[in-house]
Amino acid sequence: MDEFQEILQDFLVEAFELVEKLDEDLVELESTPEDLELLNGIFRVAHTVKGASSFLNFDILTHLTHHMEDVLNRARHGELKITPDVMDVILESVDLMKALLEKIRDTSSDDGIDVSACVARLDKITGGDGEVQAPVTSVPVEEVIHEEVVEEASDEEEIDYDSMSPEEVEAEIERLLQERQEEDRKKREAKIAAGEKVPTMPDEPSEDEVVATPKETPIATPAVHVENKVNQEKAKASAPARKTPASVEQTIRVDVKRLDHLMNLIGELVLAKNRLIKINDDVEERYEGEEFLEELNQVVSIVSLVTTDLQIAVMKTRMLPVGKVFNKFPRMIRDLSRELNKKIDLVISGEDTELDKSIVEEIGDPLVHIIRNSCDHGIETPEERTAKGKPELGTITLKAYNEGNQIVIQIDDDGKGLDAQMLKNKSLEKGLITEKEADQMSEKEAFTLIFKPGFSTAAAVTNVSGRGVGMDVVKTNIEKLNGIIDIDSEVGKGTSMKLKIPLTLAIIQALLVGVQEEHYAIPLASVLETVRISKDEIYTVEGKSVMRLRDDVLSLVHIGDIFEVERILDANDFAYVVVLGLGTSKLGLIVDTLVGQEEIVIKSLGDYLKGIEGIAGATIRGDGGVTLIVDVVALMNMAREVKASALIDTESGTSVSKEKTKASDYVVMIVDDSKTDRMIMRKALEPLGVTLVEASDGQEALNTLKAGDYNFDAMLIDIEMPRMDGYSLASEIKKYNRYKNLPLIAVTSRTSKSDRMRGVESGMVEYITKPYSADYLSSVVQRNVNFKSEFL
Amino acid sequence: MSDKLKQIINKQTQQQDSVVEQLDDVVQLVGFIIGEEEYAIPILSIQEIIKPFSWTRVPQVPAYVLGVFNLRGSVIPLIDLRVKFGLTPKKQNEDTRFIVMRDGDDVAGFVIDRLTMAIRIKKENIGAAPDTVNSDDTIIEGVGKQSDRIITILKVNKLLKRDF
Repeated sequence: MDEFQEILQDFLVEAFELVEKLDEDLVELESTPEDLELLNGIFRVAHTVKGASSFLNFDILTHLTHHMEDVLNRARHGELKITPDVMDVILESVDLMKALLEKIRDTSSDDGIDVSACVARLDKITGGDGEVQAPVTSVPVEEVIHEEVVEEASDEEEIDYDSMSPEEVEAEIERLLQERQEEDRKKREAKIAAGEKVPTMPDEPSEDEVVATPKETPIATPAVHVENKVNQEKAKASAPARKTPASVEQTIRVDVKRLDHLMNLIGELVLAKNRLIKINDDVEERYEGEEFLEELNQVVSIVSLVTTDLQIAVMKTRMLPVGKVFNKFPRMIRDLSRELNKKIDLVISGEDTELDKSIVEEIGDPLVHIIRNSCDHGIETPEERTAKGKPELGTITLKAYNEGNQIVIQIDDDGKGLDAQMLKNKSLEKGLITEKEADQMSEKEAFTLIFKPGFSTAAAVTNVSGRGVGMDVVKTNIEKLNGIIDIDSEVGKGTSMKLKIPLTLAIIQALLVGVQEEHYAIPLASVLETVRISKDEIYTVEGKSVMRLRDDVLSLVHIGDIFEVERILDANDFAYVVVLGLGTSKLGLIVDTLVGQEEIVIKSLGDYLKGIEGIAGATIRGDGGVTLIVDVVALMNMAREVKASALIDTESGTSVSKEKTKASDYVVMIVDDSKTDRMIMRKALEPLGVTLVEASDGQEALNTLKAGDYNFDAMLIDIEMPRMDGYSLASEIKKYNRYKNLPLIAVTSRTSKSDRMRGVESGMVEYITKPYSADYLSSVVQRNVNFKSEFL
Repeated sequence: MSDKLKQIINKQTQQQDSVVEQLDDVVQLVGFIIGEEEYAIPILSIQEIIKPFSWTRVPQVPAYVLGVFNLRGSVIPLIDLRVKFGLTPKKQNEDTRFIVMRDGDDVAGFVIDRLTMAIRIKKENIGAAPDTVNSDDTIIEGVGKQSDRIITILKVNKLLKRDF
């Protein structure tokens, strides 16, 4: 049965693709009924589905498509005119066909859907005798046949030529092939004559591969010609179903999982590349001027270049044209305009604009809602329009285009537009807003009222829209994609909606901010601006922090209050405010530092940690660390509940000062890059009996301090050290609340006054110049750690 | 499918079953220490055991969830079993390890104090969890009796299940 399943899968994928295109073509056909090529294309779809379904024993589907084919065939030969009524029946049958295909996908069988009514109507159009025969479906028999059919049919395709004997079919194929080869040859000759290079065709193309193999695209066009000829010559007995694609696409289908996996692997590669670059820098520093460095440099830059390209290339494989979603709208508009008795024209542009697959999938529903709304509430009836002096035919424009890192999908209609006052009244009536709010609302803010849950402006509820759901769902869905909606409208002129959506969900631009020792990434799409403020610019109003930003009052919240960040570092006099904007609401997020803008790859936190409020996911940074991504929507909600504590509570350093009971309870850190110097200090202090810990540079000292294994009572710090010098070390240490009172003693050979000044500035309490006597050092240390004399 | 083929396949699956049965008698575990106790989990549910490295704190989670860390490109939660088992947190030292456990699609890293050894234990030597903890939401799979000690065997799927 597996083989059957495989064929079935292929059939379904192909059929769904064809049907999707069919909708679009049919609507187009209605406006240009004479377009023979279009008709042929549509006919071929019906025909392909019919052929394949009969091959797979789906009797009902075959039955339906057979009758569709009849109608279309007549139209193709000019025996039937495509009127809207005819089109209705055809579209109905396409819908049925879709339903059948879905049924087959879900249950592997096509019974349970009644097609006889539709078939009867189709027959009526063809002017047939009206004899409607529901196909006899016998499920048990079907089951048995499947396997046999597969075996038999794979080598002979007689099923499609039910009236011909195998020999005749062979002869027919032979003839067609020759005919086409002839044509090709002529074309080639013509081209050669014209001085062009033409790829040579294999001498004996096997009948199955000729059309389907992508590498032979050059002959694709002639193939179609032949096909048309075939169809015209023998409309009743038709060409094999599997040979009918109108044009050969150079594509293969790949499971999305594989692409995701590839993307993950590349993510790892990027990390490795980043580390490689870092190591290269270190090596460069260490072996300056060595010859091999040049070579290493080159390799590293090639690797990093290729990795970046690879990353982009794989990302592109996930991109789909947005036209995939737009396709279904012409049909929808057609149905809606007939249902609503309005005349509406849909103009689509930019359907080639590409978006990440996951976004393309998500964006369909919101667009349906918006377009329905435009048809129902936006565009007026032809009478109203004429009365207003507008053309009877209303126009909805759907376009997509790139704008920076975003893609914009714009939906414009030339309908009656939104009336801000009416919207306000309506919301007041429904209790969605208060009168005070309504008064303060700008026109633009009033437009966003339509996104409030429970809002509906249509006086009469139609079955198209107006149930009060929809637009708020649209908003949530778009926000889920990190997108924003922008509405503009003018009464009597029309409404314009812009959906701004990031190109891909997987990679976004983010602003990295720091709070204490942690970093967070904020999607740049929601960042309006950043400002540096001093503490006294923050006011407290009703328990909330606010600040003045130009003419507005901006409410503030500290990121540390939202994410429960422990305050280890001493608060600065300055802070940065990241102004977040979502639609019309704004919020100032106070952070300690701004790290910069970076392109980040979004990773999910997994099942275990999903749904943490305020966190949208995580990303992996160049150094291999994980940084959390802020969920701006949730954060804005959380901000309402957080009490203001911003920047004020700088608790005095809670240095743990335990009672010293013996000399070794005192811990002193010696920081010096020279081993000899460390030894000299050690020798000077050992007689005291205090515990000594050594570090060979500032970085190491800081790490030892932060590790918290010891409670240091004093630090002896050399000034000149690799990696981090004494001044930087001192100022780093002084950033921490708990080390505020830790005595830092500079021990250095720098004697100038300016050096001493710098030492004091960075927080050193004593300044000992080398050389010094052991007794002097010892006494300075004793003084600073409050050494109890009884231990001596 | 021809009957012969079916017969052959049936035979093969029967043989495989018997092999599995033999293996089923012995359970392979990896033992580790948390606090004073020795625990063990099935070796097959371990993805890897790694030395500790830095992680990122995640807000609004219980104290035993230390945060997330980067395991070759995937972001994985890190859980301190000491804290989860009600012990005081301890500074990580040389013996500390992260055990990355997997159950289907669920993956998480667990901080343990020290590894002991890989243990082969006969199924008959594994007793049920003590009655007092024998409810549905216990994370104890059973108690393995060795000659010199007993080992608590943990349920990996329970460990990997979010309970907050």
